[in-house]
Amino acid sequence: MTDMTDPLLQEITGPTPGQLLRKRVFGHQGLLIGAIVVAILAIIALLAPLLAPHDPYAQSLMDRMQPPVFLGGTWEHPLGTDHLGRDYLSRLIYGARVSLMIGVIAAVISGVIGTAMGVAAGYFGGKVDAVVTFLINVRLAMPVVLVALAVVAILGGSLTVVIVVLGLLLWDRFAVVMRASTLQVRRREYVAAAQAIGASTPRILLTEIMPNIVNNLIVVVTLEMAHAILLEAALSFLGLGVQPPTPSWGLMVSEGKNMMLFEPWLVLIPGAVLFLLVLAINLMGDGLRDVTAPENRN
Amino acid sequence: MKKLSLTTAITAVAFATAGLPALADKAEDKLNVAFTKELENVDSYFNSSREGVVLQRAVWDGLIYRDPVTNEYKGNLATSWEWIDDTTLEFKLREGVTFHNGEAFNADDVVFTVNFVADEANGVKTQRNVNWMKSAEKIDDYTVRIHLKDKFPAAIEFLSGPVSMYPNEYYAEAGASGMGLKPVGTGPYKVVSVVPGQHFVLEKNENYHDSPKGQPTIKTIDIRTVPDVNTQIAELFSGTLDLIWQVPADQSEKLKSMDQFTVANESTMRVGYITMDAAGRSSMDPNPFQDLRVRRAINHAIDRQAIVDSLLKGSSKVINTPCFPSQFGCVQDVTSYEYDPEKAKALLAEAGYPDGFTTEFYAYRNRDYAEALASYLNAVGIKTDFKMLQYSALRELNMKGEVPLAFLTWGSYSINDASAMVSQFFKHGSLDDTRDDEVLEYLNIADSATDPDVRIENYGKALKRITDQAFWAPLFSYNTNYVFKTSVNYSPTPDEVLRFTTMTWN
Repeated sequence: MTDMTDPLLQEITGPTPGQLLRKRVFGHQGLLIGAIVVAILAIIALLAPLLAPHDPYAQSLMDRMQPPVFLGGTWEHPLGTDHLGRDYLSRLIYGARVSLMIGVIAAVISGVIGTAMGVAAGYFGGKVDAVVTFLINVRLAMPVVLVALAVVAILGGSLTVVIVVLGLLLWDRFAVVMRASTLQVRRREYVAAAQAIGASTPRILLTEIMPNIVNNLIVVVTLEMAHAILLEAALSFLGLGVQPPTPSWGLMVSEGKNMMLFEPWLVLIPGAVLFLLVLAINLMGDGLRDVTAPENRN
Repeated sequence: MKKLSLTTAITAVAFATAGLPALADKAEDKLNVAFTKELENVDSYFNSSREGVVLQRAVWDGLIYRDPVTNEYKGNLATSWEWIDDTTLEFKLREGVTFHNGEAFNADDVVFTVNFVADEANGVKTQRNVNWMKSAEKIDDYTVRIHLKDKFPAAIEFLSGPVSMYPNEYYAEAGASGMGLKPVGTGPYKVVSVVPGQHFVLEKNENYHDSPKGQPTIKTIDIRTVPDVNTQIAELFSGTLDLIWQVPADQSEKLKSMDQFTVANESTMRVGYITMDAAGRSSMDPNPFQDLRVRRAINHAIDRQAIVDSLLKGSSKVINTPCFPSQFGCVQDVTSYEYDPEKAKALLAEAGYPDGFTTEFYAYRNRDYAEALASYLNAVGIKTDFKMLQYSALRELNMKGEVPLAFLTWGSYSINDASAMVSQFFKHGSLDDTRDDEVLEYLNIADSATDPDVRIENYGKALKRITDQAFWAPLFSYNTNYVFKTSVNYSPTPDEVLRFTTMTWN
């Protein structure tokens, strides 16, 4: 990610850092698989109105719980229909929008909060660090699911509420990791050098500290994205997340739960996609860490 | 997600063991039954759930009994009764009846019970069941008079339902909490063990009097709370449960196709309806529900027949009245609204909402039905902000008048009289979303008249006014599926009460 272009080194060794990075990226199977799956799901989510064969909200009580095509259903509804006769594939496609949107926005909100707190604590130390550490401890003492349940129960479940609540709850890991990473780099020579030539604090933070800890940030972003997606599914499963008729994978699992003994595919299909998305995001995160970690650069 | 994997595991185990021979509970003479909800208190005056009614009918007796099939009133703890005047009922009591603890049943028990429950300070949970009684008076050991606060024609119905007789000496000592832990009654089954909310074991009362309820045959009834219907079905497969009830229609259909189980379906008195804030109590501004055309549009927007056919199934019916058709006074000659989404849209446009409007939409049970209803409303342009709440929370919100639109249901406590539903919701109480003076006037006459014809006429007028003004959208009646092993013989009754006395082994 950082380009430490050194013409001398380039002349001696041959491959540019860019080439090296490309080599590492394409040599990393986990990263490739994860990225491809996430990309495909993201494209599906973006193109939902074009790809979905039916209106995900159109109910047809006469065609309830038609089996998917591989269990003897028809191509009219390739993945069958749900308990209200809505096309399962269309709901799944629109559900990808909800899941990805919640994952990305919640991770961005919590990332901004957590990174700001963590970097400030690590760089300034002293009282700032004490306050941030205290806040982190307070936050860690509260179980996320419980707090999310309580807040959603009071405010009522909706897409916006779920995104904001998760965004405001999941910053702890960002803060912890960013604080520790900043502590590691802030005594480095290049930071001291920047301070010596009189660089401003924001400049040091943005151009000296951040580039050297951003690989950690990426890992946490992916972890928290997956975390947020799972939490949304859990909240929706409990009836406190996204409200019907909005298609959400967690809600689909919850709605299919009652018929699980007789029509297990109602639960298995959304469960499998959820699993796939979370797995892919984690693979991608792990891969990104591997290829960008400073110790890997040599 | 943890809960999910646990259920999956149980399911897997259940399927793995489904092929094994069932436990020989017939040999043990023990019937295993599941309750879905946790019963808060066995004392029937201090709970308000269906499970409570089931235990109440098994453990206690009322003065009168209504035959669930013929609807004929028969003497139970009383042998005869007569109206002395409009507000006084005299009962001759059955002699030789004893409570499960050996205490003899006599006039003192009746006087004590009535005076205790009628006193509002004692906090009986469903006041409507008892607050029509003023006091009881002992004439002699086996003759009692019950004084009513006001004329109350449904008295016999209530005395045959929720008002059961408690032992005075025991209850004075044990109180509601003691009664909840170690219940004592005169009923066909006595309670031998209670784990509150979880587990109840009943045993046949060998000395049961010659009651119209009939004599119990199965020795032990073992009731456990199993909240998840999939777990119940899994236990039914594995043989640790013999009878489950309130099974959703889809699962019942699947179970019916297997030959190890009998699936019986009976209608219940529960009626589902949509209530609208016609009185304008909620914070919606402008409030579309104050407009008759909007209320009619909602009535036209919903395909009730499709919901009955595809979701409720069984013996459910489309309902046009805010009461159950078998209830006394529930006149069926009322305005009804056929499914016509185009007309609904036209009515909305006429009312000034050509593009519809957005409203909160509340529900507390049957999320799938509620979703289907929301979908129908969305289809004519009414956008719904769907909110699923617990019953108590929704009821409280409704009492405060903060509910613009809600899918609700009412089971009338199985009381076969229209007053148990119409009068509950249209007499300007806190749950009345309409507050219509004309309806109130008719209901006041109907509720206090003793002449059946006057009652029918005035309930009829009230119902016509309500349906013509489309204050509610009455939807459908519920049904209950009972699933039990073929070794059990049972015919359920339309009042949604499990009667253990009529269950036998095949």
